[in-house]
Amino acid sequence: MDKNIKILVVDDFSTMRRIIKNLLRDLGFNNTAEADDGLTALPMLQAGSFDLLVTDWNMPGMQGIDLLKAVRADPKLAHMPVLMVTAEQKKEQIVEAAKAGVNGYIVKPFTAATLKEKLDKIFERMQASH
Amino acid sequence: MVDEKTPIADADFIACVRELSQHVENGNIEEADRILDQIAKLRESSLFQELGKLTREFHNALNSFRLDARLASFAEKEFPNARERLRHVVTMTAQSADRSLTAAEESMPLCDSIENEASELKGQWERFSRREMSAEEFRRLSGRIGLFFEKAGSDAAHLRGNLNEVMMAQDFQDLTGQIIERVITLVDDMESGLVDLIRLSGQNLREQEPAEKKEEDLLKGTGPVVPGVDDAAPNIVSGQDEVDDLLSSLGF
Repeated sequence: MDKNIKILVVDDFSTMRRIIKNLLRDLGFNNTAEADDGLTALPMLQAGSFDLLVTDWNMPGMQGIDLLKAVRADPKLAHMPVLMVTAEQKKEQIVEAAKAGVNGYIVKPFTAATLKEKLDKIFERMQASH
Repeated sequence: MVDEKTPIADADFIACVRELSQHVENGNIEEADRILDQIAKLRESSLFQELGKLTREFHNALNSFRLDARLASFAEKEFPNARERLRHVVTMTAQSADRSLTAAEESMPLCDSIENEASELKGQWERFSRREMSAEEFRRLSGRIGLFFEKAGSDAAHLRGNLNEVMMAQDFQDLTGQIIERVITLVDDMESGLVDLIRLSGQNLREQEPAEKKEEDLLKGTGPVVPGVDDAAPNIVSGQDEVDDLLSSLGF
């Protein structure tokens, strides 16, 4: 799998962004960028050639679920895999995210192994669909 | 006879007193008695009116207090919840500090042993460079260097693991941050509730609309689940495994 893919990490807490970026680096992904909510993330996604979006749900400005819907609604971004990493753990929310077309859902607190597992799954499907 | 401040309609009262004094001057006692009764009645009805007004105000005040569901819910639910949330923050920060300290404590001896072994080997290596070492000694040194290379590799992996542990332990900041933000919102709501109450009691007391129960907007996100506060709800998943089960039941 291509380790040079460009990944956008969206979370309003900088500590969590750093943790996710470090974990990604540990897995060999060095090409990452950060945004602190949906409102800043969306223009970045539209402007840059990102291959994967990792986003939190609960953020000021634009929530992760709305960002996911905006991504799916944008023809240029619609097929981008989206991994949600969030503390939201109500069944309705997970179903909502699934309906909106999320590709993976990780609840916080999570482990490095969980992140790797979900990413592997996403990449497997990406390759299968190509 | 009648206190000035008693709010009997002045005109009625003055007319009554004039009539009364005329009847007394004319020695018309029966009429004077009738007027006196009239004055007493005037005063009585005024008192009752005042009492009635007070009663109504009191009743309204009690009702508006009781009806302010927002304040009641603060006392019954929100504050105990906030207390649990903050306790959970304390627990999470303590756990994180613990994890970080454990990882650091475990790493120190590894660094010490690498440092010691490296400095000893350096000393011997210098002796070898100065050709002060016998062949037998060199064989032993060479074996020791081989072991050191192996150990340095595995110790570095171990240290990396510990550093990862320290990094992952910082995930508390995001989670406790979300919880604390919620408590701050509660304190803000409480403040505006109290300001309303002060405004209410300062003005003419009137019945207030019951505060609408705030339904949690799930789409907005509600932050981490706090043990003892949210985790009893049937719609909460207990962890990643349940998330995975739920998603796979949806065809993921």
